[in-house]
Amino acid sequence: MHEMSIALEVCRIAEARLAHDKLDRLVGVGVVVGDDAGIEPTNLQFCLDVLLAQPPFHAATAKIARCAGDALRVDYLEVDDDRPRDRRP
Amino acid sequence: MTVRVIDVRERVMARNNEIAATVRQRIEDECVLALNLVSSPGAGKTTLLERTLDALGDEMAIAVVTGDVQTQNDADRIARHTPRLVQAVVTGGACHLDASQVDRALEAIDLAHTDLLFIENVGNLVCPAAWDLGERAKVVLFSVTEGEDKPLKYPRMFREAHYAVMTKIDLLPHLSFDLARAIRAMREVNPKLELFTTSAATGQGMEAWLGFLRREVASATAARLVLR
Repeated sequence: MHEMSIALEVCRIAEARLAHDKLDRLVGVGVVVGDDAGIEPTNLQFCLDVLLAQPPFHAATAKIARCAGDALRVDYLEVDDDRPRDRRP
Repeated sequence: MTVRVIDVRERVMARNNEIAATVRQRIEDECVLALNLVSSPGAGKTTLLERTLDALGDEMAIAVVTGDVQTQNDADRIARHTPRLVQAVVTGGACHLDASQVDRALEAIDLAHTDLLFIENVGNLVCPAAWDLGERAKVVLFSVTEGEDKPLKYPRMFREAHYAVMTKIDLLPHLSFDLARAIRAMREVNPKLELFTTSAATGQGMEAWLGFLRREVASATAARLVLR
C-alpha cells in the first residue's frame, strides 16, 4: 500500500514533467531508492509496472536503482524524442 | 524511436513536504500544539485520546483529526468525548495520512481557538513514518501486548518520533512482556525519545502524560499571547 502511494507520486512527477516539456511518450522512469527509505523495491517495481501500463503512459518501464541512505527520488525520464521534436516551435 | 534521457532528480516526497510546510506554518501561526499519534493497529491511540479528552477537555480546546483505512469508527468514539467537531479522514486503502489530507481536514477546524491538535494516524508502524503531516512532533504508541523488539523491527518510526507512550501497562502482570527490554530497545534506536508509561484503563501513568500536555500547551499559549 505504501509503495502504491509512492508509485502514484512517481507517476504524477513524470506526468507533470512530460506536460511541462510538451512530451507525451514516456519510455522509462529511473527511480532511486535508498536502503533506509522504508520502501520494498520489488513492491514498488510491481506498483510502477501496473501504473505505467495504463494511460497516459505507454507501457513505460520503471528502473529502480538502490543506494545507501534514505534517498527516494525520480532520477530521470526516458522519452521517445521523435514526436516531441516535431511539436516544438 | 530515439530515446532521450531527461534529468529529473526530484524527491518523491517533495510535494507532500511542501504541503506539510504550509500546514506547519498555519499551525505555528496560531501557536497550536500539533501531535501526530502513530502506532501499530490496536496499540491504543483512540483510547488514549478518549481519556485525554475526558481529562483535559474542560481545560483547553482540543481538536482531533482521525485517519482510518475504512470506517469512521474512531472519529465516532472520540466525538463522544468532545463537543467539538472531530474530523475523520478515510484513506480508502492508503496505509497512512498525507499532508494534503490534513490540510483539507484543517479547513473545518478553527485553529485560532484551538490549543491542542491531535492527528490520529492510520495504525501502521511503517508508512506513517515517511509522511510529514506538518505536526510539531510524532508520538509513537507501543503497547505491552506487542513484542519488546518492535523498536528494533521498525526503527524509522521510533527514530522519527519525539515521544513514546507505552500503553496497557495494567496488563503487565498477565504477560511475559519485558518492559525494561522494550525501553532499552527504544533507547537504542532513539536515545532522545521522551517516554511515558500509561494505562488508559486504570489511569496509571496518565498524570505524567497529561502534565506533559499541560506544560506544552501552556508554553504555546504564552507564545500566542506574546504574538497577539
